[in-house]
Amino acid sequence: MFPKILIANRGEIAVRVIRACKEMGISTVAVFSEADRDALHVSLADESVCIGPAAATGSYLNMAAILSAAAVTGAPAIHPGYGLLSENPRFADLCSRCKIKFIGPSADVIRLMGDKDEARRTMREAGVPVVPGSDVVASVGQLREEAGRIGFPLLIKARAGGGGRGIRRVNSEDELERAYLAATAEAGSAFGDGAVYMEKLLEKVKHIEVQLLCDMDGSVVTLGERECSMQRRNQKLIEESPSPAVTPAVREGLLEAAAKAARAVGYEGVGTVEFLLDRDGKFYFMEMNTRLQVEHPVTEMVTGIDLVKWQIRVAAGTPIPFQQSDIKLRGHAIECRINAENPQENFRPCAGKVSLLHVPGGPWVRFDTALYQDYVIPPFYDSMIAKLIVHAPTRAEAIRKMQAALCEMVIEGVDHTGWMQAELIAERAFEDGTYTTDYLSGR
Amino acid sequence: MLTRNLFRRPRNKLEDAGANSMARPEIPGQLYASCPNCKAMNPAEELSRHADVCPKCQHHFRVSARRRIALTADENTFQELWPTLRGVNPIAFPDYDKKLVSAREQSNEVEAVVVGECQIGGIPACLFAMEPSFMMGSMGTAVGEKIARLFEYALEKSLPVVGFCVSGGARMQEGILSLMQMAKTTGAVKRHSDAGNLYVAVLTDPTTGGVTASFAMEGDITISEPGALIGFAGPRVIEQTIRQKLAEGFQRAEFVLEKGFVDMICDRRDLTDRIAGLLKLHRREAQE
Repeated sequence: MFPKILIANRGEIAVRVIRACKEMGISTVAVFSEADRDALHVSLADESVCIGPAAATGSYLNMAAILSAAAVTGAPAIHPGYGLLSENPRFADLCSRCKIKFIGPSADVIRLMGDKDEARRTMREAGVPVVPGSDVVASVGQLREEAGRIGFPLLIKARAGGGGRGIRRVNSEDELERAYLAATAEAGSAFGDGAVYMEKLLEKVKHIEVQLLCDMDGSVVTLGERECSMQRRNQKLIEESPSPAVTPAVREGLLEAAAKAARAVGYEGVGTVEFLLDRDGKFYFMEMNTRLQVEHPVTEMVTGIDLVKWQIRVAAGTPIPFQQSDIKLRGHAIECRINAENPQENFRPCAGKVSLLHVPGGPWVRFDTALYQDYVIPPFYDSMIAKLIVHAPTRAEAIRKMQAALCEMVIEGVDHTGWMQAELIAERAFEDGTYTTDYLSGR
Repeated sequence: MLTRNLFRRPRNKLEDAGANSMARPEIPGQLYASCPNCKAMNPAEELSRHADVCPKCQHHFRVSARRRIALTADENTFQELWPTLRGVNPIAFPDYDKKLVSAREQSNEVEAVVVGECQIGGIPACLFAMEPSFMMGSMGTAVGEKIARLFEYALEKSLPVVGFCVSGGARMQEGILSLMQMAKTTGAVKRHSDAGNLYVAVLTDPTTGGVTASFAMEGDITISEPGALIGFAGPRVIEQTIRQKLAEGFQRAEFVLEKGFVDMICDRRDLTDRIAGLLKLHRREAQE
């Protein structure tokens, strides 16, 4: 086991990883920017190193500074959390050159899954269903031909894509060429790679993802699915496990496809395969996230497996001692991402001092956060400030528990999305589980 | 604000301790290079892709003779000449022998210049590159001899010469003998030039002292890298002598260009193409 781990992240996920390390007897090194001197993860860790200015490019994305911090503190492993450097193949490469274990898959797997076109091809070859579409389109002639085959409406997507950039919706043939040129130009300037491909636009679909845990010996265990269809502009707001839309038969297919995907690339560590599920119960591979996900707690609640601890164990070479048949999904879990944003003002991010904090409690209520009373939320980073997770034997009971917990949660001094989420989970579409990814954009 | 040591440390023992004792990180030497000008940390591969020019502030890093040759000569065309020719301690200067040993260890070269024949953009040429990590590229008898021989060799084969200068000047440990190299190299350059051959001198940071007073300033075309210090005596010596504050940027390439001592300043990343272009224009067949 690693005697010490450096956590190359901030906020609630840094706190989450430090907590797992404390249970495992691992010493922790926090890194922080000048704006995060008073952050909770800094106090909670055994050691801490300032790695640069407030802007993430100079600190949390500064690979040289983070590697130097690991060298100075003698940390043999780095946990990247999510976001920031967690899916950066160059950073994973640099870690291995410095004889530091990057807690995640190899740089090659990260690179492969980061190239959306290559990932689609790999999955198709492995027998995983993918959204009907094309490979990279090289010319306008090819564009028309392929578009005719796929049918409208369709999406033009950047190969190097991410964050919703380089994506264009095309409703008919007339819009095709313009959208292609626009997407190519946008992808070129955003990612330095203008290559685009096409995908059939699936409407009224659900975002379903499968959690994986894989060890160095090639064991692959799937840990059920999560539904993350409650989204606003591709940002997830509420997640739950299991999905109310997934029948046992569909679940079997999903888990099998996800395991196939993991085996196809020789995956190692925790990872997530994202699918789109249509109304007929057909599902299609969307992408694979080669890291811990924000919404991992809902899976932890229904499986009883601590994903962060297992992620660290398999990275240290421990084989997974349980099998697929040992995994039982119990009850229902829901998570709300609490963002410091004002829903009344088009989700404008908000920073400042938390003048009063009351953390909801009670049985099977979990609150993952880096907030504390009088903490000043800096304006430089992601607006997610907490995650509220509940677990109950049935979905209906979980919704009631979430409703009660959201009302007990008090974060004064900054605007947040908690009220809006309390309203959302009370709506009919959430209650009956029919909501789809376009639910929030439809109003 | 959280007070220090707010949280107590749990008394948990390390899980499976001993099963996996992990080594400490080992950072390889050539992972990053910090820019001496803007202090940015540049990944080694990125810097190398930019011909050792800082991509952020365009500072030109000092490069070794071998790197210079690799950047300039067409792949696998460089044939080194007189690779074993080396200096001795002709006037029994104290500690010079020791200095030579450590300079050789530090630079992996036997002398402060590497000379040879190669192709640049497909055109045959003679090439010399001075080595900054060998006593700051100072010119002793061996350096003078190698450069003079290269010009004679080029004269015999009617080849152009491209030379990369980087030097602190004549090597004081060889006394008057090193100053004589100025005349010797100048003679060789003159004979090469009189026969109608081209000599392109490239001045890099720093080009000073006896080298500036001889072959560095005798090119038919003199190119400089941006920001290079070019002069005879250094700015501090001049300031102390004339007791006056010197102009901003004094002796920098841009200043020297303005005064007419160099013909152009060229970014290192474009340098090989520029030189190849000049060689093409001055080919003997082209002239006839």
